[in-house]
Amino acid sequence: MIEFRDVTFVHQNGVKALDGVSLKVGTGEVVAVVGENGAGKTTLVKHVTGLLKPESGSVIVDGVDTRDASTAQLSRKVGVAFQNPDHQLFSETVEEEMSFALKNFGFSEDVVHNRVTWGLELFGLEEYRKSSPLVLSGGEKKRLTLACILAWDPQVVIFDEPTVGQDAIQKEKLAGTIQMLTSTGKTILVVSHDIEFLWPIQPRVVVMKGGRVVGDGPSTDIMQDRELLGSARVAQPQLVELYQEFRRRPRAPFIHPLDAKRWVEEGLRA
Amino acid sequence: MMWLSGGFIFRRGESFYHRLDPRTKLLNSLLMFVTSLLARSVFEMVLVIAFMVGLSAGATVLMRVARTMTFTALFSGFIFVVNIAFTRNLDTSLLYAIRFIAIVVSTSLFFITTSPDELEQVMRMFRLPRDVVFAFVTAVRFIPVMMLDTIQIMDAQKSRGLELEKGNLIRRARNMIPILIPLVVNSVVRSGELAEAMESRAYGAVPRPTTLMAYKARMTDIGVALAAVALFAVAAYSFYFVIPVRFP
Repeated sequence: MIEFRDVTFVHQNGVKALDGVSLKVGTGEVVAVVGENGAGKTTLVKHVTGLLKPESGSVIVDGVDTRDASTAQLSRKVGVAFQNPDHQLFSETVEEEMSFALKNFGFSEDVVHNRVTWGLELFGLEEYRKSSPLVLSGGEKKRLTLACILAWDPQVVIFDEPTVGQDAIQKEKLAGTIQMLTSTGKTILVVSHDIEFLWPIQPRVVVMKGGRVVGDGPSTDIMQDRELLGSARVAQPQLVELYQEFRRRPRAPFIHPLDAKRWVEEGLRA
Repeated sequence: MMWLSGGFIFRRGESFYHRLDPRTKLLNSLLMFVTSLLARSVFEMVLVIAFMVGLSAGATVLMRVARTMTFTALFSGFIFVVNIAFTRNLDTSLLYAIRFIAIVVSTSLFFITTSPDELEQVMRMFRLPRDVVFAFVTAVRFIPVMMLDTIQIMDAQKSRGLELEKGNLIRRARNMIPILIPLVVNSVVRSGELAEAMESRAYGAVPRPTTLMAYKARMTDIGVALAAVALFAVAAYSFYFVIPVRFP
């Protein structure tokens, strides 16, 4: 679905943001991109949308080289939920905000209406249909931007720091949305510093440092590699830390690091 | 937006011009500005521009100034066309067109070599009201932030299928609405937040806050100021007493 072939990108200020990145993401995969600030995570995902074009190497999205397509063309396949929802809300009503992209893509009025209704119901925003998007709370704005993207049903959905400014309940709902999207076969890319949020989703984890991919594998493997995560200034999930601490003890029973319930039971017993 | 960035945003530098007393830089830019207005021939205008280009080279900002001049030349071309259409006078039209470039460069040279902090000090030295100084300096300081915001908003809207370069002039202007509204709203919100943050850090608690910087004119300051005054004097003399040299 998405392929980075030895991609290098240098910003105008001379900073090498991507340095020979090669990466393949299959259809239906959930991939989390983690790493310290300035590691190149956002630059990486901006290449998928065609907002940035590689200086050398190539990025292929669903068989299309991003250099041969505009962002508008690629956005039909790739939807991005940017970190700050205030950067995109401008319409008079929530309904109009949601229909903006759908109209840009030329959907018929019926389809636009149906998809707007579906999106608003999915994210619990039906009551704000005729309200201004600018008066919504931070969490509601974030949900609205997600609804806007899912309305046009892109094959790839990118979340850039989705948990910033979200309370625990919203984070849980967001994780549920990502799992729901995975079940519908969408390819998901999540850029996040929030390891605790990523852990229950169990994505494939790509660790970036200095514009390079320094680690790539399943959550259970990557999250246990304290040295790798430490070098990229990423904290381990608390449950994994507990697991590793527990495994050092003699005669410790094996408990899968995802089995939170048993961890609590063992913790209480100890 | 990009020419504005290159031409008016301060970037730290180590040249002799960057190290000048900000008052000298202000005086120099003001004199060049006035000299540009006084100049009555293309020849004199070229001299003024040559002086500023020389200073830009000394300040190691020649490339940025050249870029500003190139972009300004687009507007300058418009001024030339309008003038030639109405006055039918090549000399006057050229003079007005080049004058516009000179005015922009004189202003640009000051802003790209003077930090917002220095700007604030200079304005305070002229005893301008503190609120006015703060508002002006904050506006200058926030230009790069707004540019970054604009880029991020454009990215967000392009990712929703907005094609900014598509369509005729009217459609392109309409396409700017999804960019401008979030930009204005963000700026208003940010200014409110900034005001609260300033007030919570005792802004306005005393009428005359402490000033840590003390400027003192050095030899280079005097040299640059004298050169600018000399050029201004020549231009003023020529304006009142000499018949302008006509471009062949």
